Amino acid sequence: MKQAKSIGYEAQKARWGWFFVAPALIFFSIFSFYPILNALWTSLFDKKLLSLKPPAFIGLGNYIRVLGGPEFWNSVVATGIFTLGAFIPLVGLSLFLAVLISSRSRFQRGLQLLFYSPAVLSSVVAALIWMLMFDPRGLANQGLNALLNQPGVDRRWLSDVSMVRISTIIVYVWKYIGYFTILYITGISKIPRSVIEAAKIDGATDLNQFRYIVFPLLKPTTVLVSIMVMIQCLKTFSTQYLFTQSGAPTGPIDVITLNIYNTAMRDLNIGRASVMSVILFLIMLLLTGLQLRFSKSEDVTF
Amino acid sequence: MKNILVWTFLGIFGLIVVLPLVFMATASLMSATDIMQMPYKWIPIPPYPANFVRAIAGNDGSFMYLRNILNSLIVSFSIVFTTVILSAMVGYGLAKFKFKGRNVVFMIIMATMMIPFETIMIPLYLVVLNLGFQDSYRGLIIPFMMNAFGVFLMRQYLITFPDEMLDAARIDGTGEIGIFRRIVFPNCGPAIASLAIMTFRQQWDNLLWPLLVTQRETMKTIPAYIVKFAAEKHADEGAMMAVAVIASLPVFVLFFALSNYFVGGSAVYSAGKE
Repeated sequence: MKQAKSIGYEAQKARWGWFFVAPALIFFSIFSFYPILNALWTSLFDKKLLSLKPPAFIGLGNYIRVLGGPEFWNSVVATGIFTLGAFIPLVGLSLFLAVLISSRSRFQRGLQLLFYSPAVLSSVVAALIWMLMFDPRGLANQGLNALLNQPGVDRRWLSDVSMVRISTIIVYVWKYIGYFTILYITGISKIPRSVIEAAKIDGATDLNQFRYIVFPLLKPTTVLVSIMVMIQCLKTFSTQYLFTQSGAPTGPIDVITLNIYNTAMRDLNIGRASVMSVILFLIMLLLTGLQLRFSKSEDVTF
Repeated sequence: MKNILVWTFLGIFGLIVVLPLVFMATASLMSATDIMQMPYKWIPIPPYPANFVRAIAGNDGSFMYLRNILNSLIVSFSIVFTTVILSAMVGYGLAKFKFKGRNVVFMIIMATMMIPFETIMIPLYLVVLNLGFQDSYRGLIIPFMMNAFGVFLMRQYLITFPDEMLDAARIDGTGEIGIFRRIVFPNCGPAIASLAIMTFRQQWDNLLWPLLVTQRETMKTIPAYIVKFAAEKHADEGAMMAVAVIASLPVFVLFFALSNYFVGGSAVYSAGKE
């Protein structure tokens, strides 16, 4: 009797379990899994937005068109340059700043807040501020010219092919530097003081402490930050969109997300936009997989 | 000596990081001619408040910015609201109920983290078109009603929730929904605050989705308005910065009031997400 009742209770609890998780299953089926499968499927069709004709099945036709055309490869180059250009300063500088800030005995929190403050802004606002500073008469020219002592030179921040790439990278590094600095500070704070004290007693210089102790122990954080920076950079859109809408040349900053958006919404070519989405998905899948693997192993024991 | 060097570097670098923010704030109070004066003056005296009038009224005097700010508030708060409740519900189901397939359900939900929005935005847009949700609040809100990270956060938080409390309530005859509403949910404070702030910031910043799904000016949100305002022919630099200041106020208020949720321990929480 008692046994039967407890089974009934367990079954009832299981039913409530399903009740509570059901919204997630319904939601993610419609708004995550269906769209990604749909992207795979649509990439095989000659589908146009707003077209009344039923889309024709063309197999790998879209893939051949996209991979065979110059626009996609231009986007690969633009995204690659952007990612690499932002990656090196973001990972390197944030580590450097984190080490310096962690070494301070006073104002640590204030410094964190200071360097983090640009990350509070919306991406569009960050890009807009810099767009005005990149004006020919703006602060970017003034500052650089004062520094190099070359008055009156216009660096063409928003019109020159290489400069506009650099400009988007500057916006991005400026906005996210504090975010990654804080991730590093958290990583550093997990290193026990005793390890560093021991090295100090053994007479290790600051540089050697960093090279042989701090940096190796921070490796998990570095791996995590690196992958996160890459994933973030692949998704960049707002700065490039604002700049091109305000008259900057599209070619050099036609990053993959911007290309997908324009292919779908301006050219109305859903099939080809889907091809690029699928390719972007595969790259991101690889990176997110790595991130999940490394974030699990992030907890180092000392 | 070493100390001075480090402080000098941090000082200079900190100044470079803050200058654009100072530029935004000061330029929002200067006329366009003053902003473009070389060298830049930095001090907006006398202040030029006309920028804010123009920012709010728009270049065409339509006051569309106010409407779009309202849209941003409606959309962001609705999404925060649904995300918090649904994530807590699902997280609770995963943390406190044993049922066959629970781990599979958890894995399925976590797998959606592997599908970034940028890769599914086009098919997602087609879904919204098919549902007839384009150009409406439903289209802006429903696809973001919850997210896997929120579920993960709430599940981790609720795993340590004392079972005795739940069982005691059951013995007292409280229904399962009542237990969730009156006992579980009110005790999730810190996790909910983290999730709410994170979600709000993401939605306040969302440009791509509103661009895709809205056509009418009256349905646009702040980021889309900013791009349009800046690209207009007679856009005025001072007014642009005034628009930027207004758009940034809510997040900066949050930042100063609750800086712990931005740079404290919970910054690490959001690490997986951003």
